[in-house]
Amino acid sequence: MPARVLFFGATADITGHREIEISVSDDLTAEAALKEIVRNLPGLGSHKLLISINQQYAAQDEIIRDGDELAIFTAVSGG
Amino acid sequence: MDFFELTTEPLDITSVARRVVPPECGATVTLDGYARRFTKDRETGEVRETLYLVYEAYEPMAIKEMEKLVKVAHEQFEIANVGIVHRLGKLEIGETSIVISVAAPHRKDAFAACEWLIRELKRTVPIWKKEVYADGEQWVEGELVTQMS
Repeated sequence: MPARVLFFGATADITGHREIEISVSDDLTAEAALKEIVRNLPGLGSHKLLISINQQYAAQDEIIRDGDELAIFTAVSGG
Repeated sequence: MDFFELTTEPLDITSVARRVVPPECGATVTLDGYARRFTKDRETGEVRETLYLVYEAYEPMAIKEMEKLVKVAHEQFEIANVGIVHRLGKLEIGETSIVISVAAPHRKDAFAACEWLIRELKRTVPIWKKEVYADGEQWVEGELVTQMS
């Protein structure tokens, strides 16, 4: 089962996607997944990005599992 | 009873502020954050006029992050109740985007907690603001919690 990747705000506009799927290899870290996604969607490269796993901010070395819900977004600006 | 909500409906400040009035409290401090027309660029000093705003949230994570903030606020301040309601979608200038209400036995704690909550919310809760100008638009990028790339 792949992992879902959600985009919001700027990252949704830049990529033209609200959601994509990625295949999950063994020991795929949040940092490695983010690098791979930016390689495939290069418009993201010029932005500082955050990644969450299952609705929690992810540590760089956190391992992604099958079926996880990831999200990639720019620094938040609510309020 | 704390509450955290996201809504596309216009916000009524008083109904948020007065929803919970704990008997042991003597003050509620309420922030009414609203859409600003003129924004000065932090780097260039140039003033831009905004026509309207659009807010978007990663809704389930935003609710979880608000819950976390309120939990920490209860640990750090002597407060009884917190209500946070954030509006999403299109907002006209002057419309309320966020209401944070903090009820406490004494006002000092309510003021301090309210200030802390809005500051932390702007750093951590996954909500984004798009400013729309006469000649373009941009998603505002805030301060990074941790930078990964």
